[in-house]
Amino acid sequence: MSSIVAVRAVARPRLGAGLLLALPLSGLLLFFVQPLLTVLWRSVTDAKGAFTFANYARLFDDPGLPRAALHSLSIGVATTFTTMAFGLCLAMALHRSRLPGKFLIRGALLLPMLAPSLVLGLGLVCLLGRNGLVHRLTGLPTDIYGFWGLLIANTLYGLPQVVIIVSAALERTPARHYDAAESMGATPWRQFIDVTVPRLRFALLAAAFLVFTETLTDFGSAVVVGGSYRVLAMEIYSEVVGQLDFAMGATLGVVLLAPALLSVWLGRLAKRRQDSGDASPGRALVPARHALRDAALGALALLALVPVVAVVGTVAYVSVVKLWPYDRTLTLANYTGGMPDGYGPVATSLGVSLLAAVVGVVMIFALSAGLRRASPRIARPLQVLASLPAAVPGMVLGLGYVLTFNHGVLSSWFYGSAAIVAACSLYHYHAQAFLTMQTGMRQVPDALEDAVASFGGDTRHVLRDAVLPFAMPAAISAFFYLFMRSLVTLSGVIFLVTPGLGLASVAVMRLDENGFLAQAAAYAMCVVVAGALALGLMRLLLHVLKDRRHVA
Amino acid sequence: MHLRIDDIGKAWSGHTVLDGVSFHAGESDFVCLLGPSGCGKTTLLRIVAGLTAPDRGRIILDGSDITALPARERRMGLVFQSYSLFPDMTVAANVGYPMRLRGESPAAIATHTAEWLERVGLGTLAARFPDQLSGGQQQRVALARALAANPSMLLLDEPLSALDPAIRAQLRGEIRALQRSLGIPTIMVTHDQDEALAMADTIVCMNQGRVEQIGTPRCLYERPRSRFVADFIGHANLLPTSFVRATLPTFLERRPPGADATFELCLRPEDLVIEADPRGEGVIEDITFLGNLARANVAWRGRRVLAEFPGRSPLVSGEAVSIDAVRGAWVNT
Repeated sequence: MSSIVAVRAVARPRLGAGLLLALPLSGLLLFFVQPLLTVLWRSVTDAKGAFTFANYARLFDDPGLPRAALHSLSIGVATTFTTMAFGLCLAMALHRSRLPGKFLIRGALLLPMLAPSLVLGLGLVCLLGRNGLVHRLTGLPTDIYGFWGLLIANTLYGLPQVVIIVSAALERTPARHYDAAESMGATPWRQFIDVTVPRLRFALLAAAFLVFTETLTDFGSAVVVGGSYRVLAMEIYSEVVGQLDFAMGATLGVVLLAPALLSVWLGRLAKRRQDSGDASPGRALVPARHALRDAALGALALLALVPVVAVVGTVAYVSVVKLWPYDRTLTLANYTGGMPDGYGPVATSLGVSLLAAVVGVVMIFALSAGLRRASPRIARPLQVLASLPAAVPGMVLGLGYVLTFNHGVLSSWFYGSAAIVAACSLYHYHAQAFLTMQTGMRQVPDALEDAVASFGGDTRHVLRDAVLPFAMPAAISAFFYLFMRSLVTLSGVIFLVTPGLGLASVAVMRLDENGFLAQAAAYAMCVVVAGALALGLMRLLLHVLKDRRHVA
Repeated sequence: MHLRIDDIGKAWSGHTVLDGVSFHAGESDFVCLLGPSGCGKTTLLRIVAGLTAPDRGRIILDGSDITALPARERRMGLVFQSYSLFPDMTVAANVGYPMRLRGESPAAIATHTAEWLERVGLGTLAARFPDQLSGGQQQRVALARALAANPSMLLLDEPLSALDPAIRAQLRGEIRALQRSLGIPTIMVTHDQDEALAMADTIVCMNQGRVEQIGTPRCLYERPRSRFVADFIGHANLLPTSFVRATLPTFLERRPPGADATFELCLRPEDLVIEADPRGEGVIEDITFLGNLARANVAWRGRRVLAEFPGRSPLVSGEAVSIDAVRGAWVNT
């Protein structure tokens, strides 16, 4: 049947499909493919523009670089293991236990989604750093900088993503499989091994690849808690910002790109296999009573989530003390006047995020709608292209923007403007937003589109009356995803900010570097609160949308 | 209105879906495209609607060639199996949609919409949303919407398949009555032989992209031309020539000439006459009681045939019976 659905697309009126695809496609080529190719090209040319592999040879001249690569890999592997273990336990606690207060788990898991790894790193430093809260209160010699700090910060950051992916797979496992196993006498443990695990295999793989990639390319926590444990992302930053060695930065970027690409590709393979799931979930699953299981899962959930709450809580606390860590008198001064640039960076961040989200959702909607009607020969490669940004580290894309747009026709107004930062954020997070929109588009019934066409409607009417009502929830989700990610991103935009264009996330980093932790925390909290408000607004909108059809 | 389908062919990436299909539908005809899933009937309907372009062949409506005309200019009313109502429009807005697309005045739209909703018996539900209606009501709305556009033809793509059996039977009658009163030529796609037999003036029986037979429901049932049609429509006992020669030699007189293997005799269960007879050649294996009727599997000279007789018949399982046949049709194998 699927082959018939695929070919049906060819038959739909293609008028307008080309038009729909033109704009998002040129956007992808101009603001994603071009910068990426520039980075690639820069890594294989010398100062005069001649082709050479000398840059790659130079990688081994400095013993620091292979060591940084080793550090990145170690952190990536270690973080993947801890995040997967705790993430699986949390997902099981949510979906296969009778633990009370699951809303607390869900609530705590929201925090790392609102707080970027930079903020988690900041919280860790304030809590467990040499001068951290724990040291101040107990006198214990704490020092979180380095491997352990990075491991904790990245694990906390990765947790919600693993829980979301694994939960989706758990929800897709029909209750009747457990009923069947139960009726044949399988113990709860056997049911876990024989029913749960096989259905989770691909979700676990996909989640593991995602965490590995994100950890490998993460810059936010590296810059705050990495300390002398230098990873590749830090090295790129030093090469570009410290030594203005763009060629070396580009070469390191390509080195970082390779494992990220590989891991995203493997993740996609895993995901494709997983889609052949059961279509009808049937009766909702109610976990049986099992005190030991619930106690164990509860304890592990606590172990995973207490640090999350403690770290974000510490940031909140630090943001309202007078002079961290020496004078811990509570004050709102950091919010009312203590921030060196006032609310300017926060406003800029909001503006940039809004721009990225508005433009992004329009482009991605047009792309997804156009792909519905395009022939598979065009649609396949476009889908890959639109999903490719998931494999490109933010820093590599940002560096590509610097190398591409600091000269040429666009440079005069685009370079150093809010638009370039918005573009970079949009294309950095393009893949996930596109995936969301594609899923929404799949809800649109073919019959409805055909009906509009047969009544004399053109592409405009099809989009407005048949596609939009079904794709609206996905469009809202994609919009807020782009908005919230753009708000907190640091790695993509770190090379693009100028003195005249302050962003909240960059302000947090700079203030942290200079030891103004309380002010940094205040900016961080602004970002977290703005993200929380956006998330609340999104939920409200989705709820209203869902209700509208049933009421009235 | 008169529609002529002329030698339509269509292939999807090398796989032939329609292979030279032709038929015609006259003024106020109700034509059913009947066949198993994958036989190309839906593709054919979509080609008539203009939603799919054929590779070859022509579609002629009232003497003019509309093969190249886009769907929106064909003015065909379409009803799909399901999910074709706009979820965020009320029933009235759904029905008025085609008229709005044509830019009719709001007053005219309101009047027409009310008329059509009355006609399909949904006058009181105009302000509801589709998800507040039952499946049967949704299909009535879809029907009203298709007809409100004042179409030249009505095209129905398995409109009843997603409904409960009781509603299905009721809507069959309603659709047919509405179609008769409007006198609008209609093509309906279905894989349900009962539906086709009950509703159609003409059945176009299709298999693997080709037309197997075209005719009235009675013609297809009583005089199937091919083994496929005999098997697909109703129950059929298909007996090879050699078996007929030994058991029912009188039927050989009307057999078309040809080798033994080219024709089989099709006997409908009700064509078989079985009577209790201790010396009979048949033995009743089992009986399915259906109320007014009963069906029995009868072992007969190493074959098993299905026979039908009145439900009140005293025949019982295991009884020996004599077997005769009152009529039958020779079909191509």
